[in-house]
Amino acid sequence: MTTRKFTGLLFASPWIASFLLFWLFPLLYSLVLGFTDYRLMAPDYQWVGLDNFTALFSDQAFLSSLFHTFIFVLGTIPVTTVVALALALLVERQFPGRTVFRSGFFMPSITSMIVIALVFTNLYSRGGYIYLLAEMLGLTPPENGFLLSNSTALISIMAMDVWMSVGYYMLLFLAGLKSIPMELYEAAEVAGAGTWRKFRSITIPLLKPVALFILVINTIKSFQVFVEIFVMTKGKYGTSTAVYFIYETGLNRFEFGYASAAAYVLFIIIAIFSLAQFRLFRQRSVW
Amino acid sequence: MVKLLKYAALTIILAVMVFPLLWMFRVSLMPPTGGLSLGAFFTPIFTLGIYYDIFTSGNMLRYFFNSALIGVIVTAGNILFCFMVGYALSRYRFIGRSFWFYSLVFVLMIPAHIIIIPLYMTIHHLGLYDTYGALILPFLVNPIGVFLVKQYIDSLPSAVEEAARMDGAGELRILIGIVMPLCKPALAVLAIQVFLTNWNSFLFPFILTSSEAVRTLPVGLALYQGHQAIDWPHLMAGSSLAVIPVLLIFLFFQQHIVSGITAGAIKQ
Repeated sequence: MTTRKFTGLLFASPWIASFLLFWLFPLLYSLVLGFTDYRLMAPDYQWVGLDNFTALFSDQAFLSSLFHTFIFVLGTIPVTTVVALALALLVERQFPGRTVFRSGFFMPSITSMIVIALVFTNLYSRGGYIYLLAEMLGLTPPENGFLLSNSTALISIMAMDVWMSVGYYMLLFLAGLKSIPMELYEAAEVAGAGTWRKFRSITIPLLKPVALFILVINTIKSFQVFVEIFVMTKGKYGTSTAVYFIYETGLNRFEFGYASAAAYVLFIIIAIFSLAQFRLFRQRSVW
Repeated sequence: MVKLLKYAALTIILAVMVFPLLWMFRVSLMPPTGGLSLGAFFTPIFTLGIYYDIFTSGNMLRYFFNSALIGVIVTAGNILFCFMVGYALSRYRFIGRSFWFYSLVFVLMIPAHIIIIPLYMTIHHLGLYDTYGALILPFLVNPIGVFLVKQYIDSLPSAVEEAARMDGAGELRILIGIVMPLCKPALAVLAIQVFLTNWNSFLFPFILTSSEAVRTLPVGLALYQGHQAIDWPHLMAGSSLAVIPVLLIFLFFQQHIVSGITAGAIKQ
């Protein structure tokens, strides 16, 4: 019996080592760093208590990066969720060519974000196809392209993000739709319910668990938006986000202490949002 | 009529969804000289000249090789380690079992990007900065993979293992010889998911390396645009190299990808 206990520990050891070395240690390390003024240029650091945190909340660069992050999160998630659900409903039933459409919609979400961001950098630029399309539609796009303007850069990146991720969430909604028993719809039909009634009273409530899952993972993901910002605007033109700020501060200016404090602030914000979503959905859950 | 409208709508959406990638392939097939002109998408000239360029000069092929090597090693590691850990959590009662279980849940819920600074420093302290090790070791056991395997083994009857144990088979033999073959479906899903994630990964390879010798393809592409004016045809040929393996995997293993994604969402 004791050998079996030992064997179990042995088999679990890859995770134990990985967790301690690459998760727990770094997390505790940065928690400590957050209360110091450690930077690469001055390695003998000192405790500064909560100074980093108070400095952050009067740091214009940090506050505006948080503001952009909130715009990104609150702007993309509702649109992504609704469009993903609409796409899922469009391709739910069997019809000729269904696989082609479903695969095509899904394709962008398994493509490298770097590649997508590069392609859209061209499409959004002056003379790029999206720019030309906007002109054809009678709009007047910013002179230097969508990404080099304070008024359009962030929203253009948000639109790309929606475009890229709807296919992924469509798949999740499709799985959710599939798990709804057919008999419910049949029973509703017998009772004389129309399409809209069935959608409102059966589909929507029964999709709630999937919708919650989608909201939570999308929230965690969107709060961390970084790669597209790095590739497309380098944080300029009103697009600097929280993770971009952490990257800039920590790995360009090497202010490890300050950047660690910023990371913890972001962590706490994300945790609060995720918990709030759970509570919101628990209240009138079908489970 | 309704049907026709539906098809029209679907076709328009499909065009919007696939156009950017078609544009990428189209640009990569332009003649090597002449750059990118307006309306280039519709010119009927296709050549492989740019691919010849990036295969014979520059570092793109090197980046591709690095990505492939790291992807294969990380995937193999995950198959073995996620399986071992998932098996241990499912079948053994060992010291701290629930603590280690909850550590997985904990890591799953942590936004990974917030550890970039401490992970960067940890990797430095370990002497792994700018090596293959930095891109492999932290990513060998992934919590989602462990959950996938654990759930799968939970659903298998343990009678076969018990019988083998009665017959005097060792624990390692049971693990490799009996349970692992039974887990093939879960491990296939795991392998594809891990490989794709790793292949497309940018942030960690970007912050944990600095030299071109260990640079991966996404990092190479992101930094490529730093030179002079952007050379779109070459950049798009490099991008195509990053996308083609993904498309092939998607073509052959679509079902695995879909079940990997939905496994987490629909739990009984």
